[in-house]
Amino acid sequence: MRDSRIETVKVKSLESGVRWILKRTFFVDFIKGLMVTLGYNLSKGVTLRYPDEEKWIPYRRFRGVHTLNRDLDGRELCVACELCVKACPTRCITVVPMEDSTGKGISDRVAGVWKVDLVRCLFCGYCEDACPTTAVRLGRGYERACFDLSSAVLDKEKLLLPEEVPPDLDGGVIVAASFERTGAGMKVNADFTKLKGDWLKMQG
Amino acid sequence: MDKMVTLKVNGKEVTVKEGTLILDAAKEAGYHIPTFCYQENLSGVGSCRICLVEIEGQKKLQPSCVTPVMPDMSVKTDSATVVAARASMLEFLLSNHALDCPVCDKGGECELQDMVYKFGPRKGRFGEEKVRHHEKDYILSPVIIKNSNRCVSCMRCVRVCNEIVGRAVIGAVGRGAHQEMTSFLRSRLDCDHDGMCIEVCPVGCFMRLPYRYTARTWDLKGAKTVCPYCATGCAMAIEERDGTVVRAIARLGEGWNDRLLCARGRFGYDVLNSAERIKTPLLKVRGSFKPVSWDKALDIVRDRFTKADPQKLGGVASARLTDEELYLFQKLMRSVLNCGNIDSTSRWDDRAAAAFISEAGINAGGVTLYDCMNADTVFVMGGTISDENPVTDYIIRCTSAGRFMNVIIASTRAMKLDSSALLSVRHTPGRLGPLINAVVLSLYGDSRERLKGVEGIAAVKDSSVDELSGACGVQAAAIKAIAGKLRAASSVSLLVGTDFLRLKDGLSGLGLLKRALGALGKELKILPFLDRTNQRGAWDMGVHPLFGPGYREVEAGLGCHGMLDRAAGDGMDALYVIGTDIVGLYPDRGFAEDALSKIRFIVVQDTFMTETAEMADLVLPAASFGEKAGHITNQEGRVQKISALLKPPGEAKTDLEIIASIGSSISPGSMEGDPDAVFEEIIKEVEIYASAASSGEAGWLAGEAAAPVCGVMVKKGGSLREAMHRKAVEAGVPAGEAGSKPAADPDYPYYLVTGNHLFHSGRLSRRSGILKGLLMDPAVEISGSLAEELGIADGDRVEVRGRGYGARFFARIRKGSPRDVVFIAENFCEASVNRFFRRGETVPRVNITVLK
Repeated sequence: MRDSRIETVKVKSLESGVRWILKRTFFVDFIKGLMVTLGYNLSKGVTLRYPDEEKWIPYRRFRGVHTLNRDLDGRELCVACELCVKACPTRCITVVPMEDSTGKGISDRVAGVWKVDLVRCLFCGYCEDACPTTAVRLGRGYERACFDLSSAVLDKEKLLLPEEVPPDLDGGVIVAASFERTGAGMKVNADFTKLKGDWLKMQG
Repeated sequence: MDKMVTLKVNGKEVTVKEGTLILDAAKEAGYHIPTFCYQENLSGVGSCRICLVEIEGQKKLQPSCVTPVMPDMSVKTDSATVVAARASMLEFLLSNHALDCPVCDKGGECELQDMVYKFGPRKGRFGEEKVRHHEKDYILSPVIIKNSNRCVSCMRCVRVCNEIVGRAVIGAVGRGAHQEMTSFLRSRLDCDHDGMCIEVCPVGCFMRLPYRYTARTWDLKGAKTVCPYCATGCAMAIEERDGTVVRAIARLGEGWNDRLLCARGRFGYDVLNSAERIKTPLLKVRGSFKPVSWDKALDIVRDRFTKADPQKLGGVASARLTDEELYLFQKLMRSVLNCGNIDSTSRWDDRAAAAFISEAGINAGGVTLYDCMNADTVFVMGGTISDENPVTDYIIRCTSAGRFMNVIIASTRAMKLDSSALLSVRHTPGRLGPLINAVVLSLYGDSRERLKGVEGIAAVKDSSVDELSGACGVQAAAIKAIAGKLRAASSVSLLVGTDFLRLKDGLSGLGLLKRALGALGKELKILPFLDRTNQRGAWDMGVHPLFGPGYREVEAGLGCHGMLDRAAGDGMDALYVIGTDIVGLYPDRGFAEDALSKIRFIVVQDTFMTETAEMADLVLPAASFGEKAGHITNQEGRVQKISALLKPPGEAKTDLEIIASIGSSISPGSMEGDPDAVFEEIIKEVEIYASAASSGEAGWLAGEAAAPVCGVMVKKGGSLREAMHRKAVEAGVPAGEAGSKPAADPDYPYYLVTGNHLFHSGRLSRRSGILKGLLMDPAVEISGSLAEELGIADGDRVEVRGRGYGARFFARIRKGSPRDVVFIAENFCEASVNRFFRRGETVPRVNITVLK
């Protein structure tokens, strides 16, 4: 038993010696490596081609850029109670109330100024929790790269605009997108009708 | 000695006076009982039931805010039953409360919020629909907005309006859950607009209209200050958001006046936000003002002041400045410029002021209004206190009610306080002297022995009460009734107003009355009620031509009156005016304009462009209250600290800095503009201020400060006091002239009197948009009987015409004033009342025609 085993080892070492020479001669390992590269080159990619072709749409629970909301009649929900300001740990929200009895808001008290400094914001969501009227919500916007910090301060007019992501879209998906660079700035145009599938599943 | 009662609170024994409320006894024992409807100074109603306590032997819980203690009582304030009852009471209150805290302006400082957070149930069981009085908040007055849906029926607003303000505008309308605290038909009636109802409201039911939806309480940054609009000197805090002052507030337990403020104090803060402020030094070049640098402005001032003849140089500083500024001002004039011509007002004669100071004992130390009100009889004279010093009026009203109406009033016009007085008489304007003399004469009638030695009695003892009664227009019976009240009292307080100064009448009478009451052995206190916030401080600091700091004798100079005389004569070299409007307020505008135009160099240092500033060669921008720190001495002699909240606008500097830099530019190193250092100097120089410094926030003048009684003052004597007393006699109207009734004038049948309006003080408050909203156009106040006679309704346009001047006004009717007295406030720039005046004439005559 013991002897035969020793023999086998000997044979193997003889064979491996030959193989070693052959491998060295014909660059086998090198070609194997190239085959892997070639395989990946030919297989379907896992890279998210953001922003040129694709864009990831966050889940509903995502805490992105703030939104100010309206009720079903289109009245502003914010009553400028300033509780979000009070709750904010980074003091990035500024609210100044004013009176407006034209029915613009759900009460006579509306926000004259409502702005948030996203450079300071840490997206903790305390403002959402504090809001008694569900006026402020952290939305699904996350593209805040900019060259000028002043554009990181969003005011009431911008925050009241409807969100880019359609409310009925669940999120966690990738959609088709294109990247646009103009004199005014850069923009990622997403096409929410072209779903490219669930991002998690795509990860296998 | 009061009877004492011993009881147990939560097992702890405590001894209190008989009649003490359980609430106060518990406080003494160290237990806090939460309250809602209860407030000190207001009558108890026991309506909210938050303060329920358990008393051993009684089955039901009792409200501690209306239940007096009984001997051997055993009270539990925190038992399980009490805690449960408290929570249920809060649940009840919340069951009909709007609960719109995010919208409500009171949110964050709401007593209901605090209480529910501390003691409340965490959920309510009330499932029915809440009662709603109205959908939208409604405006009750230009400064008050109301939301009755939040009311918890504590009735504090109703009680404060009734018992303290004395207007009874607010009442409880309706019953049960539909009860609403509001005014009749939700109209404003004759509201004083003082916002006391806002201040006492524990929830957001009464709210400030100007403050509406501007901020949350936690956004505000505040500073303690003193109201600049009269010498009552109410302590208050002004609060700003983003550099704009949004409210003035007096908080319970913070100042001596607790929550009391009038319309001016509570709503006049917006002068600080005015865009019309002077922001840079302005030099007049060929008739128009051009901005210049501070360096250049100070160079010009130094140049003109040093070249001026000290005899032909003068300074008038407003009695609105701080003690430090006034002290440094007189130091600049006297020590640096060797000039004794200084004054603190342009409205009255400096000799009359000296006499008033002496006769009212201002130089002897302070006395509190509360101490004054403790007297058996309080005699208020020489001013319409309800309009001039509204908060003094409030304090008199609520203490008078507890002292069985111990107030007697003598004035030229009807006032709100009349309803809280035992007796009020109306005298002919300018004839207060004969009235006081008649009172003294009545006293003399049956105390000849004790009064015969009193100085000055000889001048009146030979006239008769009837004769004097004819002169002053008060019935002899009323005079005798006043004398009777004074005779019966063992302690008497005299509240003396600015009419003594304005009309120079009654000054010798005041001295005589003081000495007569002293000789009769009455415990006497005298409190002046003045109209400029730091008038008393200005006198204490020696901003007066006849005396220096601490009423020390100095080389006499000229007062404002004398300076204008000199200017009109051979002209003056330079005049330094700080914060006062000589053209607008000097009683003879034509003369003042003429005199000022002959002054070769006028520098005006002010916060706004005044009519005097328009005539100036150089205007320096100064800081207002709220922008500077220092001390203010109120009419009682209470020295209160004020602090800065904002930075002065533009290049404006505090008056102290400006005065110090003028001083240093003339005599280098002579002055520094640090308020603390100057106050240190004041304490050293003015001995009566020593105790004011040690007591921190609010201090008292030292000496016989607490209660200067007449006896002490006379005994102490001193050459200065005697000299001032002589001036008193000089300044008063000679007895012979005053003894007669003013001659009738058929062309101009009415007497014109002036003073401050309820909503305004001097010219400063006219810069406040909110106060202007309360009274926009110049108004003339006429009596109800005259209005009826001439067919004038409230708000009608009338023309008031005097000799040489006439103007149009809105008529305001004041019921109860004498028929022949017409009042125009001195506050209106648009129709300046001083145009009606001629020098030497204290009560002009006018006629009124109705414009159709």
